Amino acid sequence: MAEEDLLLEARDVVKSFGLNLVLKGVTLTVHKGEVLSLIGGNGAGKSTLMKIIMGIYTADKGSLSICGQRLEGAITPSRAMKAGVYMVPQEPMIFPHMTVSDNVLMGFRGNKADLKKRLSEVYKEIGCTIDLSRLGMTLSIAEQQMVELLRGLMRQSRVLILDEPTSSLTFDEVQTLFKIIGDLKSKGIGIIYITHRMAEVFEISDTIGIMADGRITLNGPVSDFTREMLVNALLPETKKKEARERTPIEKKIRKAMPLIEFDHFSGYGFKDISFKVLEGEIVGIAGVVGAGRTEFATAVFGREKPLGGRVLLDGTDITGLSTKEVIRLGINYVPEDRHLNGLFGISPVASNITSALLNSKLTGKGGFLNQASENSIADRYIEDFRIKVTSRFQEAGSLSGGNQQKVVLARALATMPKVVILDEPTRGIDAAARGDVYGIIYKLREQGIAVILISSDIDEIIELSDRAVVFCQGRISAQFPRSKINQENLTAASFGVYKEDNHAA
Amino acid sequence: MLLKLLRRYELKALAFLLGMFVIVTAVNPSFMSAESLTNCFNDSVVFTLLAVGAGFVILTGEIDVSVGSVLGISSAVAATCLRDGGSLPTAVCLALLIGAFVGLVNGIGVAVLKIPSLIFTLGTYGVARGAVYVYTGGAWVENLPAWFTGASHSYIAGYLTWFYAGVVLLVVAAQILISCTHKGRNFIAVGDNINGARLVGINPTQTKIWAFVLSGVFASLAGILFTSRIGFITPMSGNSYEMKAIAACVLGGISLSGGLGTLVGAAIGAVIMTSITRILVFLGLSSNYDNTITGIILIVIVVVNTVIQDRAILNSHREISLKRIAKEAFKE
Repeated sequence: MAEEDLLLEARDVVKSFGLNLVLKGVTLTVHKGEVLSLIGGNGAGKSTLMKIIMGIYTADKGSLSICGQRLEGAITPSRAMKAGVYMVPQEPMIFPHMTVSDNVLMGFRGNKADLKKRLSEVYKEIGCTIDLSRLGMTLSIAEQQMVELLRGLMRQSRVLILDEPTSSLTFDEVQTLFKIIGDLKSKGIGIIYITHRMAEVFEISDTIGIMADGRITLNGPVSDFTREMLVNALLPETKKKEARERTPIEKKIRKAMPLIEFDHFSGYGFKDISFKVLEGEIVGIAGVVGAGRTEFATAVFGREKPLGGRVLLDGTDITGLSTKEVIRLGINYVPEDRHLNGLFGISPVASNITSALLNSKLTGKGGFLNQASENSIADRYIEDFRIKVTSRFQEAGSLSGGNQQKVVLARALATMPKVVILDEPTRGIDAAARGDVYGIIYKLREQGIAVILISSDIDEIIELSDRAVVFCQGRISAQFPRSKINQENLTAASFGVYKEDNHAA
Repeated sequence: MLLKLLRRYELKALAFLLGMFVIVTAVNPSFMSAESLTNCFNDSVVFTLLAVGAGFVILTGEIDVSVGSVLGISSAVAATCLRDGGSLPTAVCLALLIGAFVGLVNGIGVAVLKIPSLIFTLGTYGVARGAVYVYTGGAWVENLPAWFTGASHSYIAGYLTWFYAGVVLLVVAAQILISCTHKGRNFIAVGDNINGARLVGINPTQTKIWAFVLSGVFASLAGILFTSRIGFITPMSGNSYEMKAIAACVLGGISLSGGLGTLVGAAIGAVIMTSITRILVFLGLSSNYDNTITGIILIVIVVVNTVIQDRAILNSHREISLKRIAKEAFKE
């Protein structure tokens, strides 16, 4: 395409957070009237790149030009916007207590009447139908995105970035959005479209860029791509070969007794989930972020209301019981974010480990805690799990990430559960600690505990699971026995494009 | 439903005030006189200014508990100046400078240094109150010129004082500022969604500093009216007024989480707060009940509002997650 059609050019962008190199030299161009679909797994660096373009982060290296104007020095969001980019974030930034028109016009200077007039023009142009006097808090996500689009258009943006705009839209809303994208395209606006959904990519894009591991691995017109190529390209380089042989696992599933069973279990964010977990079995739940896995786990654990179906523990219906009851019956949940949900940061390690036992085993005569048994339980787990502490009285918050995670695991296991749900147990911890956590999970299996392992790290699912269940948009898109758990199948199912016959690909 | 209710919050506060008047009159008909009614408004000038000032800060999602102490120090300085023969403009300028300065310090502490506003303004609350003791040596400031103390009793019409008329004008001006100018709208935007505000190019740091400065200035202005009305200043003048000012904001419909409410509402809230004391007298209750009843009214209103809001938010989240898995979305 011609040089003057170039709207956005990012060249050799490098960005690291601490020691973690997130972008390893990314080059990206967007031309007039082009829809570029940017695809990549979780953590591939898409969001970081977009935030650099928007001036929310500053790149370590590399250059950025917008509409032929090279941006030097520190880029701020207002500079980037002035130059002509606007990002519609995945979760739109709406002012809940303001009207739609105030939401759009916020941040503008100048004559209110003029602004309103321009707004109504832009509004007509894209065929928007929202009542401008409604309050932000009443808008659906689709309408909130519309407000964000209006904001971008009012700023006369030449490049719009849409970050997974369809992840929370219904089918009809998606169609409306696509129509608007078509209109914008014909007006010469360039669009960067980030998505997890393969089908959409082929429906709306002109060019495709695939990001993996901080690089754009493939980039070209949409006609050069097939669905299989996309799935394939999403896999990290090293993993394309045969999934590696696994350590002996199959031997030890003793009794084929379903310990916990889900029967068309539904709730806010997930629907019709049916699968079983046997005694001493690890079932991995794969899927992309937002597929409804955490919502599912919290509903099982009694933190959210279930909407239908049943959960059976040892054959008894435990659907909708309170968290306290669920723990008492032998289910425990280790949440995803240990800082928000798990750890008592300024308490000693020992108190953290035993904190789930306060209601029962630890309480001695007259309601006083039995210090000796608290210490012995804590010491046992510190040794078993190789938690690196100076003493059992060390503040839990001062431990490294991996050791904090072990403390949270120890706390859950101190309750002697029959079923454990682990939500992203190794996110953000180093390789050595990861090995220890895997060791702990294997040990649980040997003890006959049913483990439900939620993980966005496909390698982790492959390494640990006896069986895998894949969530996609709140439903189970596929289930795999041990022999079929591999990168290709899990990736395809996570993006909802798995078919029985293409697993050999 | 909820929205209409929230939008008309000021009207509801006004209705609440009138309801209170009606009940008191039913119990004690002597309350219903032009003088006693207008006095409910006249007496509210100090709290109205404090509440409107604090309102700027609360709208941005922060809080300012130093306003009572700012009133104390600025009125002590202004009163001393007047007693020693200083002119009114000098006294007023001194007071306003002090208010603006404390507000600036608060703003920098909260917006730049990112200290939680409750903690930081609790600090300046202590410092400013201590400054009153140091400045006055613990003594009262008395013998103020009669033209100054008399000013609070000059009437514009009937029983309505010039002071109240002036305060009403100020409230209206402040309200126009926040609802009709783009700088003013920033206060609400920052309180409503600070990240959203950043994204549309508003500078939240600057906005918050301005809110605290305005709060300080309004508090010192309140201090001058307070001095004129009371006629003398003690080291404890304005003590615990901040609580009533904040309560007035909440009663008038300003959300403590920011972004919602109007300054006119805060002004109505201030009249309610002032009237409660007066009404207790007419109901034959001792003024010892004053704080308790104010507290109860405040808790009831805040609890009801929070419950309604939390419901709405929870339901909207649930609706979103349901939509996400709705059947048609699963077509691939």
